[in-house]
Parts: sequence; C-alpha cells; structure tokens
Amino acid sequence: MNRIDVLDILCDLRQDAALIISPGLSNYTIAAHGDLPLTIYNMDMPYATPIALGAALGWPARRIVSVEGDGSLLAGPSVLATIARYRPYNLIVLVFDNGAYLTTGSGRAPTATAWGADIEQLGRAFGLKQCCTVREIGDAREALVRAFQKPGPWLIVAKVDPTDRQARQSAQLPVDVFESGLRFRRTVLAQRALEQDQGSRSRS
Amino acid sequence: MTYPVARDLAAGPRYRLEALEAFYDSFRAASIDFAVFLPDSLLDGLEQLILERGEIECFQCAREDEGVAMAMGAYLVGRRPLVMMEGSGIGLSALILARGIVQRTPTLLVASHSNTLGECFDYHAATRVVAEPVLRALNIPYYVLFDPTQIRTVVIEAQRTVEGQKVPVAILVPPHVIRAA
Repeated sequence: MNRIDVLDILCDLRQDAALIISPGLSNYTIAAHGDLPLTIYNMDMPYATPIALGAALGWPARRIVSVEGDGSLLAGPSVLATIARYRPYNLIVLVFDNGAYLTTGSGRAPTATAWGADIEQLGRAFGLKQCCTVREIGDAREALVRAFQKPGPWLIVAKVDPTDRQARQSAQLPVDVFESGLRFRRTVLAQRALEQDQGSRSRS
Repeated sequence: MTYPVARDLAAGPRYRLEALEAFYDSFRAASIDFAVFLPDSLLDGLEQLILERGEIECFQCAREDEGVAMAMGAYLVGRRPLVMMEGSGIGLSALILARGIVQRTPTLLVASHSNTLGECFDYHAATRVVAEPVLRALNIPYYVLFDPTQIRTVVIEAQRTVEGQKVPVAILVPPHVIRAA
C-alpha cells in the first residue's frame, strides 16, 4: 500500500475537517489535492498530534485530523496517553508507518517499527480503544470512512511502502508557516461566528 | 473531584489562598478559557482551583512541550489558552515555542521554579537555570512576579500582549508569591 493512495482517500473524505500534518511527503500530496485554510503544514516533530488534540478539545464541533509519521509519533508518544484520558470524539490520528525516516537523507534509516515497535499496541497500552492497523487500501478506506462517521478518538496505523519517495511532488507548499497560523485562526473565527449566528437564529 | 489543597491545608503544601484567587480572577478577567498543565508543587493549588471551579476548561498533559502544543492548537481554533508548568518545562518547550512565534500561534505561560530568589532545594538547580535563558533566546516577553499585589495587572497585561503581538508571554512565579510561609 502506498501513502499517496491513502491520502487520496483522506482528502476525498476530508470536507471541512482541519488537518495538522507532521513533516514529510504527506504535506505535498495533501496540498496538491487543494490547499484548504484549515491546514497546518509541516508541523515540527513531534507536535502535529498535540496541536490536533488541543484543537479537537477546543472545537468539539469540528473533526480534526493529525497526519503523522511513525518517526514523528515515536518522538512524542505520550500524547496518546493524554488522548486516551480525555477521549475527544472528533479526533483522528492517522499514522503512516513505513518503518523508515523516509524524507531524511538517504531515507534508509529505520524507525523503531522496523524492529518490532507496534504503534497500534502502543495506543492500546495507553488506553485508546479504537485503534487499528491497515495494510491494504480497501482496509484503509474502510477505517477512514468509519473514523469520519463514528465518534473517536481514532488511531489508524497505515502500513505503507516507501515507494512514494520516488514520486515526491513539488517541494513548494502553498503557504509559509508565518501565514498558515493566521489564516487558520481567521478562518476558524469566521466559521465559529457563522455557527453561532445560525445557532441563535434557529433558537429564535 | 474535590479540591484537596485549598480546603485541607494539612494535605500538602500551604498556599496563599488570596494569591490563588487573584490568579484565578485575573485569568477570568483576561478571558482565558482553556488551560493545560503539568502538575508541579508550587502551582498545584492554582491548577486544582481551576479544575474545581470548572469555568475554564482545564486539561493535564504528560509533558510540558505537549501541553504548549495543545494550547497552541486551542488558540488556532479560537480559544484563549494558558499553560502552567515548572520552569523546567519551558526548557523542554523551546522548539514548540519557537514554532508558535514563527507561526503567530501564541499562548500565555505561567511557570514556577524559575531563576528567582527563594529556591531552597539543590535538586531544582537545573530546573531554575533553564527557563529564563530559553525565554531570552527566543525573545519571549516575560515578567518575574515578585509582588503579589501585581498579579491582576500582570496577568491581564500579559494576555493583552499575547493577543496583540501574537507572541507567547511568560509570567514567572517565585515561591513566596503563592506559597504560605
């Protein structure tokens, strides 16, 4: 299974969900699908999931997705315990596990998962209930559809091959880090104001 | 869950309850609505007070840098966050604070055991050394709150700076401000 194929499914399902993306090739694939303002690209390792957790707790009405790598998540796995503690139902953590630090140098340095570390079991050990590992694209689609339809938090570990390193897309992202935070928050404030307005109209 | 510290002073360290109340009221006055903390001895009374009152959503993290990132996530979705920690946590949070500066995604920080007077334990030496140099290196505005009568002013002005300048701001709390003699 290839990471790009899984990301195609994620982007098709995404709709208005916010995405926080850890460093790596996923950023370029997602940007190529269409740059949406509720996206933070290349969040420094290992903070994609903690940022997504804070966003999910702070905005329960909106689905928040953390797009992780195995190397990034293993740099800060304690966040899984915090997720298990507070169980934000609107949070999805999607971890691409290719067993390597693929975007680093030669891409041949293995992560701990190449030596047996199991991220799904790590999530379960921390207390997460809805965890799965997917190896086939059909299973990945099924897991993502379920995660977008049913309350989470979800931990989906997608075992992918490293072939997308060769298929690397443009190294340019549509926004700089400096812009992305401002754009994200302004968009949220506008959308929350709209939600509040619609809520007050429906009550009156 | 009940709040054991303020109600049962025999259960742990003794706190200046008026200082806890002043911090709490100041957070409310500054419209803080989302708090994250990693428990520490000095700020524990304040953290437990926030949990007990239930007016500010409050979450416990597993590491301080994780907590700063959680607060940044909350800021991104329109909240006004606060992170409480030991000064050592600022040392642990250098990278995510730097990201917050670059990305214009700030949070208010309240930290104890900083490089101020009154630290009596040798084993806190590294803890007290790390915070201020990291704040200075990142050019994060910070204020050492020596005078308890300044709590309200400092909290409100610090949060005003967070929102206006979109940078993290730290308030460092020496022991005498919050712990009873």
